[in-house]
Amino acid sequence: MEQIQVLIVEDNQEQSEHLSQMLENHGFYIAGIATNFQEAVEMFHYKDFDIIIIDIFLNGRPEGISFAQFVDVHPVKHKPFIFLTSATSRDVFNRAKLTKPFAYLIKPYNELELIYAIENAIEKFYAQEDSFTAEEENAVISHEHLFIKKGKSLKKVRTNEIIFIEVEEKYCNILTEKEKFVILISLVKILELLDAAKFYRTHRNFIINILKIEEIIPKDNLVILEGNHKATLSGKYKDEIINQFRTLK
Amino acid sequence: MYLRLRFILTQLIIYIPVFLFSQEKLISHQLAVQIKNQTRQLSTNTDFQKATTFFLQEEWDSTLIYTGKVLNLHEETTKLSNYCHFYRGFSFFNKELYNNAEHELLKIPDDFDFHINVFSKLGSIALEKSNFEKALSYYKKVEILFNEPNLSIKVNSIKDNIGLCYFHLQKYTLAEPYLIESVQRYEEFKDTLELIGSYGNLANLYYEQYKDDAAIPYFLKAYELAKTTNNSKAKKKTSKNMAIVEENRKDYPKSIKYYKEHMQWKDSVNNQNKIYAVAQAEKKTAVEKKEKEVAVLKADNKVKIAQRNTYLYSAIILLVMFGVSLYLYREKVKRNKIIQQQKEDLDALNNTKDKLFSIVSHDLRSSVHAIKTSNKKLISKLETEKSTEVNNLLQNNSSIVNNAYTLLDNLLNWALLQTKQTHFEITTLGLHTIVEHVAYNYTAILADKEITFKNTVSKDENILADRESLKIILRNVLDNAIKFSNEGDAITIYTKNDDSEFCQLIVEDTGIGMDETTRLALLEDTSLLAKKQHENSIGTGLGMQLCKSMIKKNNGTFSIESELGKGTKIILSLPKK
Repeated sequence: MEQIQVLIVEDNQEQSEHLSQMLENHGFYIAGIATNFQEAVEMFHYKDFDIIIIDIFLNGRPEGISFAQFVDVHPVKHKPFIFLTSATSRDVFNRAKLTKPFAYLIKPYNELELIYAIENAIEKFYAQEDSFTAEEENAVISHEHLFIKKGKSLKKVRTNEIIFIEVEEKYCNILTEKEKFVILISLVKILELLDAAKFYRTHRNFIINILKIEEIIPKDNLVILEGNHKATLSGKYKDEIINQFRTLK
Repeated sequence: MYLRLRFILTQLIIYIPVFLFSQEKLISHQLAVQIKNQTRQLSTNTDFQKATTFFLQEEWDSTLIYTGKVLNLHEETTKLSNYCHFYRGFSFFNKELYNNAEHELLKIPDDFDFHINVFSKLGSIALEKSNFEKALSYYKKVEILFNEPNLSIKVNSIKDNIGLCYFHLQKYTLAEPYLIESVQRYEEFKDTLELIGSYGNLANLYYEQYKDDAAIPYFLKAYELAKTTNNSKAKKKTSKNMAIVEENRKDYPKSIKYYKEHMQWKDSVNNQNKIYAVAQAEKKTAVEKKEKEVAVLKADNKVKIAQRNTYLYSAIILLVMFGVSLYLYREKVKRNKIIQQQKEDLDALNNTKDKLFSIVSHDLRSSVHAIKTSNKKLISKLETEKSTEVNNLLQNNSSIVNNAYTLLDNLLNWALLQTKQTHFEITTLGLHTIVEHVAYNYTAILADKEITFKNTVSKDENILADRESLKIILRNVLDNAIKFSNEGDAITIYTKNDDSEFCQLIVEDTGIGMDETTRLALLEDTSLLAKKQHENSIGTGLGMQLCKSMIKKNNGTFSIESELGKGTKIILSLPKK
């Protein structure tokens, strides 16, 4: 699992330190701290990150809103962002709202509120609301990543690293090259959200990453995956999988 | 000599017609009888009857007045009007207003009963106006009608006048037979007055032709005859003629004698003019009276119209004024309402301001002061390196600062709420998360006070509210619960779903509770700053007021259940999703 990378746009050093401390405490990685609009735009282009936290007022001007507008309309690198503000003034809020932020964080905030805001932003960004907050689930799935809520923290897993997923009622056992973990998500939803070009069902409750296949043994209804993991290949899905490969006969 | 004679003769001629007409002034008996007969059945109009009576009595002025009345005031028949014009023509003629007379008579059509009289009169008028040819034509018309029955004119005088006309037209040969015939006729009838005129005419005829020898005897005859009568006019004329004749014969003493005689008679004639003036004045006054009446009526009418217009205008003005005042009144009421509203708003704001000031001045000041003194102690303790006491003081400071911060926060929120400046947006909220988030800030203090805290709100519990204001409410409620709980007490937050529309969020503590008075005071809407009941806690009632206001704004309700010594239940009802 990897850390979630956060880009912070905040002019007040004390506040940004406080914020990054809090984030690091909860296992987030600080991709960068910008203190004005210019810096923010630069970091936006050169840094790798998953989410941005933007203070509305930078050096006394609502530059945060301008930056949010810039992010909102960026054609390629579209990322979720959160507004951080102490102003609950109606005017500022109404202006901020026009940029369609994914969450607000009102100062003073506590750790829970911060994490919640990040979770909320990710849920909203990937249009999978109530994934973290409800009892039934704890993951948000994008094509590149799996965002998983672990305790009070949030982690991500590259979907490319997943070898197979075994569904067990409401749980999914996920095996990657390095680790094995459980997420709370239904089979239907996970199938719907995962990249259909990579992930295939081999069995009623088995999903494999097609790129991790090492060997298919049709006679035994068996697929040998990377790391010598075995997956059952049921007749229903067999042809579909085999058709993905050019087989030598 | 010749010239002079002509001049005198011209003078003479002017006199002659007057002389002549005096003979025809009287209405002939025949004419009167006929008029009586004709008019009797004509009209019952009293004015007309009077006019007829006056006419027959030869009261010309009265006749004129009454005929005038008939013509002006009544819709008379043509026949009636013909009579009226006839009377008037005669009257005017006799009053020597010849133009008026002619005008009246010309209005009468030819089929009138007495048209022959009309022609004869018109002839006389023309004669009077010395229009002899016109007169002659009228008289010729009359002459043709001589053989009609019931002839009501004097044939003689007509013949006389024809002769006169010829005379004046200097057709002496034509004139002579008529005048001679007339003289003969008058001599025959022994009509003295007419005879005098006829003699005069004949004499003039001859005199004009310079047949003095034939003329003078006739002049004399006329003079002598006039002497025997009582007619002053005749006497005047004949004497004057004689005077002129004698003058021309250069017999001046005789002429003077005749002149004297003439002057004597002339005076008596003058009186008549006065009578006419009186009548004219009478008529004038009558007309004036009528005019006055008309003027009065007109004025009356004017006044009435003016009055009516005045009423109309005043009614319109009143209506307009009424409308305007109604409008103004409504505007005023509206404005008053606005002013009242503004006053209320201002009062509320002023109240808020006062409250803020009292809180700032009292509570905030005292807590800052507490820190100040505490810090002094801290410094002295640090100098003496009493680390446990330093720790205690820091703890104390921290709690004071926390309380002060809460207070400040509430003050700010309160002010924002009152001035409606805060962002407010009702969204769907997970109640569990919100409670968790709020409670997280109190983790340390709960642990410190050894208060058991439990949030048993289900993760599925969703309500509709504004996130920040709900957090403020919960913060205050939880703050109070902790404040009024002792060590070892428990605080539980849970929900109750009895209602289909509202979710009840209950914050229950097992703390010191409150009595009924405090409870009611807290719930009371207008309750101002509550007196502090608990020494070491900043209690202003502001938090509670804020909670109530915000709950209301979130369409929820707020209630308290409490028992002194056993604990308190704060119940927040919020609309479900």
